[in-house]
Amino acid sequence: MSDHEKAVLVAEGLQKAYGPRAALRGLSFTLRAGRLLGFLGPNGAGKTTSIRILTTIMEPDSGHFTVDGISHKHPDQIRRRIGVLPESFGLPKQMTGIEYLTYFGQLYGRSKSDAKSVGMELLEEVGLHKRARSLVSTYSHGMRQRIGIARALVNDPVVVFLDEPTIGLDPRGQQELLGLVQQVAEERAAGVILCSHLLSEVESVCDDVVILSSGEIVASGTVSDVIGKTEQNVMRIRVPAESLEEAQRELEAIPAVRKVSAASGMPGWIRVELDDAASEDHQINNRVLETLLRAEIPILSFEPEGGRLQDVFLQLTSGGIK
Amino acid sequence: MSASDARTAPSRASPVWRIVFWRELRDQWFGGKALAMILIYTILLGIYSYLFASNSELQLLPLKQMVLEIVKAAVFVGLFICLIVGADSVSGERERATLEGLLLTPTSRRQIVVGKFLSAVSPWPVALAVAIPYWVVLSKGDVALGHALVWGSIMGTLLAPAFAGIGMLVSVWCNTNKTSMLVSIGVYLLLILPSQYSGLATVTTSTQATDFSNLFQLVNPMGAANRLLHDSIQLNAPFGQLWLWATTPLLFPVIVIAVLCLFVGPGLQLEGGVRRLRTTSV
Repeated sequence: MSDHEKAVLVAEGLQKAYGPRAALRGLSFTLRAGRLLGFLGPNGAGKTTSIRILTTIMEPDSGHFTVDGISHKHPDQIRRRIGVLPESFGLPKQMTGIEYLTYFGQLYGRSKSDAKSVGMELLEEVGLHKRARSLVSTYSHGMRQRIGIARALVNDPVVVFLDEPTIGLDPRGQQELLGLVQQVAEERAAGVILCSHLLSEVESVCDDVVILSSGEIVASGTVSDVIGKTEQNVMRIRVPAESLEEAQRELEAIPAVRKVSAASGMPGWIRVELDDAASEDHQINNRVLETLLRAEIPILSFEPEGGRLQDVFLQLTSGGIK
Repeated sequence: MSASDARTAPSRASPVWRIVFWRELRDQWFGGKALAMILIYTILLGIYSYLFASNSELQLLPLKQMVLEIVKAAVFVGLFICLIVGADSVSGERERATLEGLLLTPTSRRQIVVGKFLSAVSPWPVALAVAIPYWVVLSKGDVALGHALVWGSIMGTLLAPAFAGIGMLVSVWCNTNKTSMLVSIGVYLLLILPSQYSGLATVTTSTQATDFSNLFQLVNPMGAANRLLHDSIQLNAPFGQLWLWATTPLLFPVIVIAVLCLFVGPGLQLEGGVRRLRTTSV
């Protein structure tokens, strides 16, 4: 088995309850080295509890997990092998970037000089080397996230947990940070767990995905596998506002179309539901579009519903918080 | 040391408590928290001394009593500073969201607590150094100065770790700094107010003091310290009559430090309170 196929985190049946409320009901999944796993779920689904258990901050009520083959019963050894960027983390006011990383390097058992040289390398890796001697309190939000990632890498972890790393960043900042996260997984052969509410970013960078709802896994696997699990006989078409009514009439006339409606939350989009039998017909999409083209209705955009992670997420987590 | 060596046990690294201690010390003194409190302390002590030296009514107090009052003020306010620094040490990090990062490292919770504790005691030597010139000036060369220097230093040095420890114990249990500060101040008042009352009673009617009030003073570390300072500085009592009053200030820090380091420290967790202990997690 190559390094990239090695299971670096294995969780089996993790359960946690806060009083009578079950926060986790049997969480089981595997993360392999060099892979990026998107950890998704609506608010209250149990993501934070899962991360806190897997990072040894909290103990599970039952179940078991290993990191790099080490049982969760040895949390101090696990902490040596994981790196974590919590969702909200504070930075000391009186430290410079390099002092901050040196401090954490020392806490991981490095000598001061070694911790400093590793700190400088990490600052370079996250693009902060020019601000190494600036106080961290003067860093922008994006820089704070970057130094947080650098801190998570200070012990060369085999598993990295990143909880909402792009929250509050502008689109460019998000893109740059995600590039950095991908680089961490690829170059360091670390397994990365990325918690995020931005489903498009998970879809674009993650290899695997776990979707939680009410403390249970409702979908897991590779991103493409999970996307493929949702219904495929619905499509969305965007047409100019003035052609909406005409387009709806034309589409309703197609025999394989069951229902035509305005797509909720997407102005200008029409949602087209097809008969169950239509999913077997590989030409159905072409025929629907052809109908609109023949009626000279401009098609601004087209996409099959269920073709996005967001669709899967909304479909699977519609039950809300139990 | 290669990158992956950080996953294994350290060899040349400093002990964690020392790393945490230096960082905390720097945070407190360069960050200005302890420095600001010492500055206020210095101003208060200056005003207090000035009043003793210049106020016509206060000047009527016997010199020894004047020295006693300034020593008590210096010691008790110094203890308060240690208490406040201790009370901020854990709950403050919780509020500033810096505790989680620390708990995610493979360091022993006990060592983290020891580092923070030593740093919380650090204002006391500075407070003592600031106070000594005031004691010297006010004593005007009286024999009380010697007692003030010896017993003031000893009482402060014994009780400062105890009060820093109490502040930390409260801080470990509290989720917010506000609660931690309020509870700590409450504990401080609970200890200092009866001691001041007993102190006054002792000053005025020490010969009629009942066994009960003596016992009450003895079990309260502040009361015992108060009585010891009174008997040594004002009454010039020999050591044979003082040792009993030194036992509580001696035992109190031992108990607080033992509870902090042996029971509470290893269970330090992200949320307020103490985690059920498991040998592998400490």
